[in-house]
Amino acid sequence: MASVDLKTGVARDFGEPAPTAVWLRAQADRAGRLIARLLVASALPVALGLLWQVAADRAWVSAQVLPPPAWVLQTSLDLVSGGEIVSAVAISFTRIAYGLLIGASLGFLFGLLIGFSRRADQYFGATFRAIATVPSLGWLPILILLLGIDESLKIVILAKACFVPMAIGIAEGVRNIPPALKEVADVLALPPRTRFLKLTLPAIVPFFFTGLRLSTAQAFVSLIVVEMLAGTDGIGYLMVWGRTLFQLDIVIVGMLVVGVAGFLLDVLLRRLEAHFAAPELRHG
Amino acid sequence: MRKYLTMLMIAAAALFGVVPAQAEDAPEAIRIGDVGFGFGKPFGVGLLAIADAKGFIADQFKDTRTKVEFTYFTGTGPAINEALSNGQLDFASYGAVPNIIGKSNGLDTVLVASYGGTIIFGAARPDVDIKTVADLKGKRVAVQKATIIHWALIQALKNAGLSEKDVTIADLKNADQLAAIAAKSVDAVFGADFLLPLEDKGIARIFYKSSAAGPSGDGFGAFLVTDKFRQAHPEATQKVITGFVAAAHWLADDKNRDEAFQIWSRAGTPVATITRSNEGTALKGKYNPRLDEFFKARYASAIAFNKEQKLTRRDVDLATWADPSYLDKAISGLKLDGFWADRDAAGVATN
Repeated sequence: MASVDLKTGVARDFGEPAPTAVWLRAQADRAGRLIARLLVASALPVALGLLWQVAADRAWVSAQVLPPPAWVLQTSLDLVSGGEIVSAVAISFTRIAYGLLIGASLGFLFGLLIGFSRRADQYFGATFRAIATVPSLGWLPILILLLGIDESLKIVILAKACFVPMAIGIAEGVRNIPPALKEVADVLALPPRTRFLKLTLPAIVPFFFTGLRLSTAQAFVSLIVVEMLAGTDGIGYLMVWGRTLFQLDIVIVGMLVVGVAGFLLDVLLRRLEAHFAAPELRHG
Repeated sequence: MRKYLTMLMIAAAALFGVVPAQAEDAPEAIRIGDVGFGFGKPFGVGLLAIADAKGFIADQFKDTRTKVEFTYFTGTGPAINEALSNGQLDFASYGAVPNIIGKSNGLDTVLVASYGGTIIFGAARPDVDIKTVADLKGKRVAVQKATIIHWALIQALKNAGLSEKDVTIADLKNADQLAAIAAKSVDAVFGADFLLPLEDKGIARIFYKSSAAGPSGDGFGAFLVTDKFRQAHPEATQKVITGFVAAAHWLADDKNRDEAFQIWSRAGTPVATITRSNEGTALKGKYNPRLDEFFKARYASAIAFNKEQKLTRRDVDLATWADPSYLDKAISGLKLDGFWADRDAAGVATN
C-alpha cells in the first residue's frame, strides 16, 4: 500500500513541478555552493594544521616552542573550563565596546564637521591627518605617563583607533552626496532637520558601516598589542603570561581565540554592512 | 672535477658525522647566555659579565679552537628558556623562578653553580605613607611577575606578617613600572637597582633593601648547562665552570671592587648607583658560587613558590637537578678549598 502511495506521489511530483520542488532545488544549490566555499576556505587551515602535526611528530622544533596540537587542544579545554578564556575575552570585548562607543561616536561627529564645513576642514583637517598617521600604539609611551596603566589608558588608545577610520569614512560620505540630490533638496527648500534625516543620513549609511568595520578592526589589533605591552588582564595579557610561563600552548590558544574572534567580528560587520548599505545604494 | 668530488665527499662525511674524531671534546663554540640590560647592545651585571669582560672562561680555552660566545638577553627569563629549548645556548645564568619554570617544562638543564645574589629594592611614592613593608597593606604594588623579584616581594610580605592578599599586585615590566609610579597608578614598586635613580629624581623613596634583612631576602639564581652539552663535552664543561669560579675569586678581592662596578656600569646603571646599591655588602659573600645548604634551601623555597603561584605544572626534583661535582673540582683545582663559606639553610657560615 505504502509503495503505491509513494509511487503516485513521486509520479505527481515529477508530472507538475511544484513550487516547493523548485525552492528545494534552489536551496540545495545554495547549500552545495556554501559547502564548496567552506571546503575551499578551509583547505589552507587544514593544510597548516597537518603541517603543524607533522612538524610536532618529527620534532622539527622542540615541543616547548611549538607544542603539538593535542597539547593545545587540552590547554584550550582547561582554559575554557577554568574560566580564564571566558573572563579574558569578556574583559577584552568590554574594552572594545567602550573604545568603539566613544571613539566611533566622536569620529562620526568630527567626520560630519569636516565633511560639511570647508572652513572646519581647513582648520582641523591637517592636524587630524597628522594625528591619524601616528599609529595608536605610538601614543602608548606618553599616554602611560599621562594616564598610568589603568583602564583609561586602554580605552583612550582604542577610542583613538576607532575615531580615525570613522571620521575619514563619514567625511568622505558627506562629500560624496550626489549633487543632484542636494539640488532637489535645495529646490524643495527642505528644513535642515528633514534634509539631514532624509538626505544626509541615508547617503552616508554605506560609509558609516565601512567606517565601523575598519574602526573595529583597528581597535581589535590595538587592543591585543596594548594588553600585551601594558596590561594586567585580557586576552593579550593571557598570551604574554603564557610566554612567561614557557607554556607556548597558552600563547597558541590565545592566538586562535584572537583569530576566530576577529574573523567572526569581521563576518558580522560585513553582514551588517551588506544588509544596511546595499538597498540604499540601489535606491540612491 | 676530482677536487669537487673530494669536497663533496668531505661535505657528505661531515654531514653524517664520520669526520675523524677531532678531539671529540673540543666544541667549535660554547654559547653562554645571561640576563642583560641597557639600550642597544645589552650587557650583564653579574658574575658572568666579569668572566666575559676579564676573559676568565676564554682563558681556559686559550690554545684550542673553541670560541666562547656570550649573549645577553634583555627579555630575561622567558627568552633564555626559549633559546635553551631551541638549542641556541649551552650554558645560561638567570633567576631561579624562570629556570625552575624551564626545568618544569622539560628543559634538560643541570645546575652547576650559584650565580650569587641580587639585591632587591622596594620604592614607594613620596606622597604615600609607606615606610616599611608592613605599610604596604591595602596598597597597589607593581612587580614583574614570575621573576625572582616577584618571589622576593612575596617573601618580604610574609616576613612582615602580610600575605599576598593584603596587597594588589600589578604585573608590569621595568619601564612600565617606572611610568606607573610616576603616573601614580601604583603606590609602590619592587625591583632591582634600576629603582635607585627614582629617588634622586624625587619620584619615589626607597623603603626596602633586601640585603638589610639578612642574606635570605636577596634574589638568587643559578648557572646551568644543558645535559646534552655536558654529556658530549665533559672536559669543556669543567673548563667553563673553572673559569666561572676564577671570576668569582677575582670578584671576591676588594681591590677589584671598583673595576667590577665599571664593568657592570656598561649595562647603563651609573657606577655611583651600583656603589650605593652594594653599600655594606661584601662581594665575596654575595657572589659565593657554592651549591651549599643555603643555596638548596633557597631553591626549595622558589620551587614551592612556583607551585603556590601556579607557575609550574610539574614538580622539579632539586636533588637530581643540581650537580656540584664540576664546581667542587674547579674549587680544588684552583686551590680555593674553604675560600667560600659553607652556609647552612639559614645562610649562616658553618666552616
